Amino acid sequence: MSHNAARDADREAYPRRLHELEQRFGSLFNQINDSPQKEAFSVLHGMMQELWRHVRHSSSPLSERGLDIADISELYRHAPKMESEARHSPLPPGTPAPVFALKDASGQVVRLGDYRGQPTVLVFYPLDWSPGCSQQLDLYQQELDEFERRHARILGISVDSLYSHGAWAAVRGIEFPLLADFHPKGEAARRYQVYRDEDGFSERALYVVDGDGIIRYSHVSPFLHHVPDVYELFAALDALPSKTSETARVAS
Amino acid sequence: MIRASSWSPYGRRVTPPGIPVVVYGTRWCAATQQVRRQLERLGVPYEYVDLDQHPEAVNQLRWWTGGSASHPTVYIGGEVLVEPNSRELNWALARSGLR
Repeated sequence: MSHNAARDADREAYPRRLHELEQRFGSLFNQINDSPQKEAFSVLHGMMQELWRHVRHSSSPLSERGLDIADISELYRHAPKMESEARHSPLPPGTPAPVFALKDASGQVVRLGDYRGQPTVLVFYPLDWSPGCSQQLDLYQQELDEFERRHARILGISVDSLYSHGAWAAVRGIEFPLLADFHPKGEAARRYQVYRDEDGFSERALYVVDGDGIIRYSHVSPFLHHVPDVYELFAALDALPSKTSETARVAS
Repeated sequence: MIRASSWSPYGRRVTPPGIPVVVYGTRWCAATQQVRRQLERLGVPYEYVDLDQHPEAVNQLRWWTGGSASHPTVYIGGEVLVEPNSRELNWALARSGLR
């Protein structure tokens, strides 16, 4: 796509929802008889326009620029939906966490055992760039200090390559490691009983592994687009009888 | 307006706000969770209406938004924001003097 074509596509995409609503509003005009109610609709529409003027006044004009990182980070909003039901149940709490050795985006091998002594949150998610996932990892990025406060490390895992992980993390500003379960494809997800053979990617699943390598909390989302409740995850971390997190808590 | 009890994950009731902020969403929606956490981190009191527990609120959303019941929808003192990103949420809070 040429630069100009990208710019035109951007112009077309940005106000699409507003445009659709405006068209619908227009088409309804002749279907309503003159009445105070009709006038009320009109007044409301006028209020919306004034609000838009205010918003535009206080922000830079979007039409002056081409596609930027913010646009790319929002691509997931129009990506094809991913809403299948879960096919697997997670390994139950009390199970020793299966080992893995996977590369992060910089090519460093990360092993579960690297985090002995502190709780680890394993976030299995279907794919980079897909709807839903983006927001789940954004949420954890926003809450990194809450994980740190609980002395917990967080690792994202999907079947994407380390290069995809690198680009995706850069676009979204994700600072915790994303591990490539790329070859053999989905091997780590299989060990954690969350690989969807039919689709070639994992369930959306969470595991909390304690400092001794034992699974203490596990969750598979009932649908791929359902993201686990972060308050429940915090509660699971708070429930860990971990010495290290106690020490960290007292120290802080 | 549908009212749900003011609620905070840390167990304390939030103060009734001068400028009402209401978040309509679901517990399994990442964007809803992100908006709620963003408000909590900023110390902005808000009401949370869970659409799974309050399906009657869906019609109100449709009326406001021209037919869709997207979540999260955030009401900030007169502005209805449909699936706002964090920047849009911050702008709206700033316009309302909430940050």
